[in-house]
Amino acid sequence: MTFTGLVGRVFMLPLRLIINTCVRLRIHPNTLTFIGVLINIAAAWALALGKFVTAGLIMVVANIFDFIDGKVAVELGEVSQFGGFWDSVIDRFSDLSLFIGLIYLYSQLGRTDYVMITALAMMFAIMTSYTRARAESIIKKCKVGFMERPERIVLFMIGAFTNRMAAVMWVILVLSVFTVADRIILTYRELRDARQVAA
Amino acid sequence: MKRAASLPARVLWNAFYWTYERATWQYDLMVIAILAFVWLTPPDWLNDPMASGCGPLGWVLAQLR
Repeated sequence: MTFTGLVGRVFMLPLRLIINTCVRLRIHPNTLTFIGVLINIAAAWALALGKFVTAGLIMVVANIFDFIDGKVAVELGEVSQFGGFWDSVIDRFSDLSLFIGLIYLYSQLGRTDYVMITALAMMFAIMTSYTRARAESIIKKCKVGFMERPERIVLFMIGAFTNRMAAVMWVILVLSVFTVADRIILTYRELRDARQVAA
Repeated sequence: MKRAASLPARVLWNAFYWTYERATWQYDLMVIAILAFVWLTPPDWLNDPMASGCGPLGWVLAQLR
């Protein structure tokens, strides 16, 4: 087993308990999704105030809700197309609020350089989701690139807990640029190959 | 590109054009590289607005000087 696989299994144990509790209480998955974004906004507020450890702790709670909503939906038999759509839309709000919190902090500190780095990281993080969503309307699957939402969220938490947010912004920016490029390349290749087969 | 490229070029291309799943050894390597960058790079090198100091890497370099 790989190291990241082991970490995933260890974290799955307490999450299993929370999922079972939500299923027993029959909490609707869309409600869990919405609670997640509200807590993420609180995390963004803490980031804006420069309280990184508090922000990290709030992010942990928020992302438990983000993570379990899909699993609870499956176990309650409440999987729906709207649920998937709602989850994706709310996830973008959560992503954006964290970046905006940091942008506010850096602007308060008069750090235009990091305002720009964070704004660019935010732009490419959103483009990562958009390129996949748009690509999958014309090709079957577009799941390439490293920097997806779970990686971003874990990096945000690492940056917050260890006060290394600047380095984290650089990593998110560079790898999000690569991920968007990967998705454009894959979509171009798939469409070119399909055209060649048709011809 | 893959057939003609040398090993380092292929490694770089595979790191850029990422097609590996989570929980693979390639994913683990990438995670280690990212964590090394985040934790070892001295905040001063990045002009970190919230952290300062030379970090573990800066400390090692200072000891070597």
